[in-house]
Amino acid sequence: MFCAAAGFAQAAEPWGIPHEKPLVLKGRVVDALCHLKGVCAPDCGAGKRQLGILEANGRFRLVGKGQVDFAGAAPDLAGFCGREVEADGLLIENPAITLFFAQGVREAGSTAPFTPTERFKTQWEARNGAAPEWWRADPESNAIIAETGPLGIKGLLPKPKP
Amino acid sequence: MTALSQWLGRPSARALRRLAAAASLLGAALTGPALAQDGRRVSVTGEIADSWCTISGLMFAKGTAHHQCAVWCALGGIPVAIRDAEGALYLILRIGDDTDSAANPRIARIATHEVTVNGELLERDGVKHLLVDQIADDKGVINLTHDEHGIQPFGN
Repeated sequence: MFCAAAGFAQAAEPWGIPHEKPLVLKGRVVDALCHLKGVCAPDCGAGKRQLGILEANGRFRLVGKGQVDFAGAAPDLAGFCGREVEADGLLIENPAITLFFAQGVREAGSTAPFTPTERFKTQWEARNGAAPEWWRADPESNAIIAETGPLGIKGLLPKPKP
Repeated sequence: MTALSQWLGRPSARALRRLAAAASLLGAALTGPALAQDGRRVSVTGEIADSWCTISGLMFAKGTAHHQCAVWCALGGIPVAIRDAEGALYLILRIGDDTDSAANPRIARIATHEVTVNGELLERDGVKHLLVDQIADDKGVINLTHDEHGIQPFGN
């Protein structure tokens, strides 16, 4: 069920993305693979699986992005696994794929402000320490890029800037 | 002795297994699979692509120019897809037995590669969900876009 902004303190920030529609999405947090195929994991995969929101009308919305740069929203939704939530954000119905960009989430029926979808950064910093840009400080990312180069082809480097 | 075992008295291992199975079923009932479905067998060829960058229009999101960004996004848990020649995105939910579809280093390592995969396609509410059984071919990164587009999105 889509809900109009009124009554839900909807405050999603438009990004000017093609096909975006600000809205508050209401429904139950489900693990995509579990919901679609019956291959389930404890706690919806505990942040290691793509999650979505199942609306009351049966429509499944994949939540593909959170507020942290270069990061998704699975860590924000996993804590609500199997529970009803309200998510404030942008539904992007691109012909190639429909994704929901969750900017904030809260328990259904709550009058509390939406909690910004920033748990990826919290969890990353708990593992790695604070960094101004997590993506440049990420050990796994740096290991991959050190191996293949920033262009993905070993030995191929960008031209020096003039 | 745990509260559970106190409650049960001295539960047998079998009783505990049954209890665990019941808890698992209860969890599945809450989190799905309400509409578990059979998909259709497909073979998909295209570039391992970051779904967000592809549809957001915030940057050029193809090939070598976008490789580094695609690695970051894959490790950040943004859904990874295969973009075919027509521009359709096939969202990867598993590869073989590996069902980690968010922030999976194995998937990040094939970011931007041109691949052909075999698997099961489940289309639902605007998303082509792909359950990959096998990566039949991996040509590596072959789409050379960096000369024209630099390194996305920051230039370094």
